[in-house]
Amino acid sequence: MHEWSLALSLVQTLDRWALEHGVEIKRVVLSVPSPAQLDVSVLNEAFDALKRESRLERAKLEVKVRSPRYRCRACGYEFGQEEVDPQIRRIAGEYGEEYPLHLIPELLPTFVKCPKCGSHDIEAELSIKIEEVETT
Amino acid sequence: MRPLLELARDKLKRRKVIAVMSGKGGVGKSVVASLLALSIRGSALIDLDLSGMSIPKLFGVSGKLHEVGREGVEPIVVGGLKLFSLGGIVGDRYVVLPGYGQAGAVEALIAFAKLGDADTVIVDMPPGMGEELLALGRIASYVPVVVTTPSKASYKVVKQLVDYLIEVGRKPRAFILNMAYVECGGARIYPFGRGDEARRLGENVGARVYEIPIDPSLEDYVGRLHEYRGPVAEAVRDVARGL
Repeated sequence: MHEWSLALSLVQTLDRWALEHGVEIKRVVLSVPSPAQLDVSVLNEAFDALKRESRLERAKLEVKVRSPRYRCRACGYEFGQEEVDPQIRRIAGEYGEEYPLHLIPELLPTFVKCPKCGSHDIEAELSIKIEEVETT
Repeated sequence: MRPLLELARDKLKRRKVIAVMSGKGGVGKSVVASLLALSIRGSALIDLDLSGMSIPKLFGVSGKLHEVGREGVEPIVVGGLKLFSLGGIVGDRYVVLPGYGQAGAVEALIAFAKLGDADTVIVDMPPGMGEELLALGRIASYVPVVVTTPSKASYKVVKQLVDYLIEVGRKPRAFILNMAYVECGGARIYPFGRGDEARRLGENVGARVYEIPIDPSLEDYVGRLHEYRGPVAEAVRDVARGL
């Protein structure tokens, strides 16, 4: 369900931006971190429904799901998504539909520990970002 | 471009944002913020004390999760007041976050909050001068309400926050000396002194200075603060009228 509120934020933000710049939007590239576990097809469906009668009416959404690289600030260990996934699965199982990282992926250090030293002091690029906007 | 930062800005742009803050912890910010929100009709309360999350505890909704719909995060409504807290996202669990995580949480919580027709938003800030303060500054032009106690120990810390607020052009509108006195046999007793330094600090920056009493019965209302009608609520109503 959160895909809809994210799509709404995207359409509202870009529509306002397009209006300010006097342009129409043709293509949007949205980058989301994989721990957010967003359903790309729902995100696309929501985007297509919400873009009507806006400056994104003819826009195509491309969603890039990226696997962040992680670094523990306590012990310096660097690791990939594959070492985080078992912990993510556990949190998703615990919360079910209310999975907090779905809404706020930046909460990850609260739930995930460094696989080497157990610290929560983890660094990663976890924000949802508009990477590219193509206009006419 | 970060869509959630933009949306958070847009969400607060046409609303009055009152940030209840103090450099010091334990001075009663959350109680003041909650009672302020209860006394300003049609306001919403956002808890940005990401690790403390006192607001759900004060209103007896710890562990209750926000419903998330197609248009965002639904408020938890208690006594007619709309509350938003990270506690409603993570449940009854500790939150430990580096700065970038705090920034993301502040932006997302505000961006997705379904504030509806609330024209005033009261923000309960954490103690200290960390990422939440910077994040709120990126998002909104807020009116600071500074809370301290009359104690000299609080004064030093609060002064640094006030210096910062003045430097960034956000002059405190109200300066609250909380837990200032106790009513006893018709007389007022000031257990932490009169707070002259703090009072002067507030007056020097042009803020209205308020004294809020200690009311031991307030403790009985932790978990049902919306039912409290005592002298602290009365004093906070006076602050609300001056904002």
